[in-house]
Amino acid sequence: MLPSLRFLGNGMRSLGLRSLQTSSALRHDSLFVHRDTPEDNLDIPFEFTEDNKKRIDAILAIYPEGHKRGAMIPILDLAQRQHGWLPISAMHKVANILNLPYMRVYEVATFYTMFIRKPTGKFHVQICTTTPCWLRGSDEILDTIKKNLCLEVGETSKDKLFTLSEVECLGACVNAPMVQINDDYYEDLTVQDTEQILKELKAGGKPKPGPRSGRFAAEPLGNPTSLKGEPTGPGFGVRADL
Amino acid sequence: MLRQSLTKVLNGAQLSPKHIALITRSASDQAAKKPEKIEVFIDDIPVQVEPGTTVLQAAALVGVEIPRFCYHERLAVAGNCRMCLVEVEKSPKPVAACAMPVMKGWRIKTDSELTKKAREGIMEFLLVNHPLDCPICDQGGECDLQDQSMAFGSDRSRFTDIDHSGKRAVEDKDIGPLIKTIMTRCIHCTRCIRFASEVAGVDDLGTTGRGNDMQVGTYVEKMFLSELSGNIIDLCPVGALTSKPYSFTARPWEIRKIDSIDVLDAVGSNIVVSTRTGEVMRIMPRVNEEINEEWLPDKSRFSYDGLKRQRLVTPMLRDSKGELKPVDWEVALLTVAKQIKNAGSSIGAIAGGLADAEVLVAVKDLLNRVGSEALCTEHTFPLDGSGTDLRSSYLLNNKIAGAEEADFVLLIGTNPRLEAPLLNSRLRKGYVHNELDVALIGPKVDLRYKYAHLGDSPSILQQLVSGQHEVSKKLKSAKKPLIIVGSEVLERVDGGAILSAVQKLSASTSPEVENWKVLNVLHKVASQVAALDIGYTPGVDKIRELNPKVLLLLGADEASIEKSDLPNDGFIIYLGHHGDHGAAVADAILPGAAYTEKQATYVNTEGRAQQTLVAVSPPGRAREDWKIIRALSEIVGATLPYDNLNEIRDRLDEVAPHLTRYGAAENANFFKQAEALSKSIKTQIDNTPFDVKLKELQDYYMTDSISRASPTMAKCVQAVLKQKQSKY
Amino acid sequence: MAQVARDGLKQVRPILSLDRDEARKRVLNLYKAWYRQLPYIVRQYDIPKNVNDCRNKLREEFTKHKDIRDIRIIDMLVIKGQMELKETVNIWKQKGHIMSYFKETIEPKPTDFLSKFLTSKD
Repeated sequence: MLPSLRFLGNGMRSLGLRSLQTSSALRHDSLFVHRDTPEDNLDIPFEFTEDNKKRIDAILAIYPEGHKRGAMIPILDLAQRQHGWLPISAMHKVANILNLPYMRVYEVATFYTMFIRKPTGKFHVQICTTTPCWLRGSDEILDTIKKNLCLEVGETSKDKLFTLSEVECLGACVNAPMVQINDDYYEDLTVQDTEQILKELKAGGKPKPGPRSGRFAAEPLGNPTSLKGEPTGPGFGVRADL
Repeated sequence: MLRQSLTKVLNGAQLSPKHIALITRSASDQAAKKPEKIEVFIDDIPVQVEPGTTVLQAAALVGVEIPRFCYHERLAVAGNCRMCLVEVEKSPKPVAACAMPVMKGWRIKTDSELTKKAREGIMEFLLVNHPLDCPICDQGGECDLQDQSMAFGSDRSRFTDIDHSGKRAVEDKDIGPLIKTIMTRCIHCTRCIRFASEVAGVDDLGTTGRGNDMQVGTYVEKMFLSELSGNIIDLCPVGALTSKPYSFTARPWEIRKIDSIDVLDAVGSNIVVSTRTGEVMRIMPRVNEEINEEWLPDKSRFSYDGLKRQRLVTPMLRDSKGELKPVDWEVALLTVAKQIKNAGSSIGAIAGGLADAEVLVAVKDLLNRVGSEALCTEHTFPLDGSGTDLRSSYLLNNKIAGAEEADFVLLIGTNPRLEAPLLNSRLRKGYVHNELDVALIGPKVDLRYKYAHLGDSPSILQQLVSGQHEVSKKLKSAKKPLIIVGSEVLERVDGGAILSAVQKLSASTSPEVENWKVLNVLHKVASQVAALDIGYTPGVDKIRELNPKVLLLLGADEASIEKSDLPNDGFIIYLGHHGDHGAAVADAILPGAAYTEKQATYVNTEGRAQQTLVAVSPPGRAREDWKIIRALSEIVGATLPYDNLNEIRDRLDEVAPHLTRYGAAENANFFKQAEALSKSIKTQIDNTPFDVKLKELQDYYMTDSISRASPTMAKCVQAVLKQKQSKY
Repeated sequence: MAQVARDGLKQVRPILSLDRDEARKRVLNLYKAWYRQLPYIVRQYDIPKNVNDCRNKLREEFTKHKDIRDIRIIDMLVIKGQMELKETVNIWKQKGHIMSYFKETIEPKPTDFLSKFLTSKD
């Protein structure tokens, strides 16, 4: 998904002319219209589980009368968690629950990239390749995953276990490079860590999320380098006459 | 340049202040308190405005038009095209004029450097993602984007991508047989989406995706099937939504535009007929705040191709083998005149739904001269009680525009969505903005808004009259109640009793507004009110009784009378423009002109006389209808005393002066008398449930001889049926 | 004053003739000139008429104006007649022009409603 910036060659040649720097056409990797497929069509019914129905009731109770449509995103999320991705029948189900036109649900479901509208593997591996992760070697990690899973970006493995996608910053730059697998962040990765995580997942285990470098969270590796002394009290560094 | 200048809308005499209040809902809430006006300056011109007025509206008040794409007076404010950016003094950034309410003392600069730069920038962004296909675009020449890029855009381009690798492209959608979509041209103003959800009430359009990938469409393969769908073509400021039947047929600068009136329903929408080389190329709405605002239903807009098919182009006579053979006018008129002379006073006439007032009065005069009174309309109306003597019993008395002010509407035996789509859009407007409650007695139909369905049994009406029904209280307490009766239930045998019950019911309400008229009758055909005004007898029973030797059908195509209803040597003359049912049973055919081919008077269901104008000449040897009758009268020997349009209009004026007061709707006020007379009615309401013919959308498209001849309308029916099969 | 006005009315500038006799002479001369020319016209223009027909037509054309008393009008008609003659003699006219003396080629416009209707001229 990372745009490969392309400077117009002739733009460079004729420096001084007014010209826009353009990049290649950016296309999202999913379609924004629905196409009936064997996996995704209205003939495949979608029904919430009993547990989830209770959850829906709880979610709906949060929103005041007349504003129940605010519950759309949580319920769509619930549907996605139940089904692994968001089929069209689930969108219709949500629209029926909220008593909304289908189009209003389509609009929301297509707006947010975290709603996945095509069949997705059990483990959705999202690798961040934005600048901080890239600087810390996300390309290597990506190659490892590709080789390990025999997948290209955007593909799902045949056993429906893994889907690989390349995403923009997930906000864990301090622990770069990182991948997100379903809801868990795996941070401070090396090639070995990545291979081990994937191996564990394939074996049906659940690798421990978090940094792999031995850090607890985002603290400095090794000892703290700043803010080591006792915190100063009020009035520190203030002029005496004030 | 813009479709319609906002100044006109705001200052126009036709518009009541409530429309402005509708646009700025925040202002309407405070209207009761009459807040103080605030002063703002538009280009240093001071103007006093209500609080809550937007910058764009304030500018319109002093005659400054701010360019816009997404803003539309009749739709909610979206504020997403940014074309209306203007500079406000002391504001760090330009503001979107359409969405920003003015504050006291603001100095708005609509012509400053910053404003110009902002507009130029927005234009550039829009054009970067807009294809340069104006030469093959149907909107070319009447495109807001073209016009505004000429007026406000930069004179040179910075878009140097000659490989076309960076232009955005969007796949086209198939949304039915009427609207062609070229979605790459879409500038995401969302006018169509807002129209669909606010006015049409069909939430099928929306935006999917976001950012560069955002597109307007239906997401799933679905047709946008609404009886008002054609209006999104007019709303679209670019060529993304264009008319499918009109595509690639004409350019706006080579078209002649003629103002006219639509006659395919009883609303009488104002239209503009575009013609080229003697052909009707398309029909578009014309603004009339009192009738159609600026909308036009699909049947009126797209059935014009029916005007070119199945036409009667030459007089015809049935020969000895029973085949219709073309003849000269002279022969036809002589034959017909001979028959009329032989018949003496045993002659009758039936007026169909598309007959104009001129021919109606000419036929009446002719038949009266030969001693006959058997003049009927195809659609019947109860004659007991006051019958059609009092206009107030058969008009939509409270007017179409009045419908949106009502707070409670009781519909009886009607489906306004399909019988009068623009009345229904008014009701929906009231429902959305005015907290209007609607109740319906009749078959359960889809009106695109919620209503209380009371059932389809006439006994409910009786319960309402006696005050026993649960809705009675609501009806009585309503400040602006309306009762709209479909003409179809009044066509029943017990129509008189129903009308009398409705009259009683409307007398029992207590509207708090002066001159508020509760009783309204909604007709289905354009000719009915004029025919009743002129003195035609509703219904064909009189013809059946008289059993006339000669029967004149004035475009009567609803098969209300068969050949078997006449004596064996009976002679049927058909005067009309389409080879439909009436022509099939006729012995002589006199080809007349359709509504685009004559200057003729029509009276709509609210009693408003309006005239069509000649857009094209009648095909072949067809002539204006009243002239045929006039010529015939001379041969019969009962010459009618009018030779030209002015003279026949004088005759109309003699019969009923309101028929020539074009544009004005005369009030009718004899409700009490009508109710008193209705007490004499002896018939009882029987218990057959109320029914309407037009129940679902597929019933809407083909209802008269013009739309039955239209291939586009046939395609619409197919599309609706196909959509019904679809899962989406 | 009244005298001056009357004189002014009487004394108009003559076109050619000073009195009725002179005007009469001019008319007769024109008639004779036409009369003599008729055989040549019939032959040269090859019209389906004989000399007698033409003589009758000539007489008819002249007697059409027999009631005109104003000398100036008579003069003017004579001048026009001479122009016609010259055009005819020099074959500036064509056959049709000659024949149009005998029959008007333009159909009269319908005036009443019914004929307007039947000829679709409404």
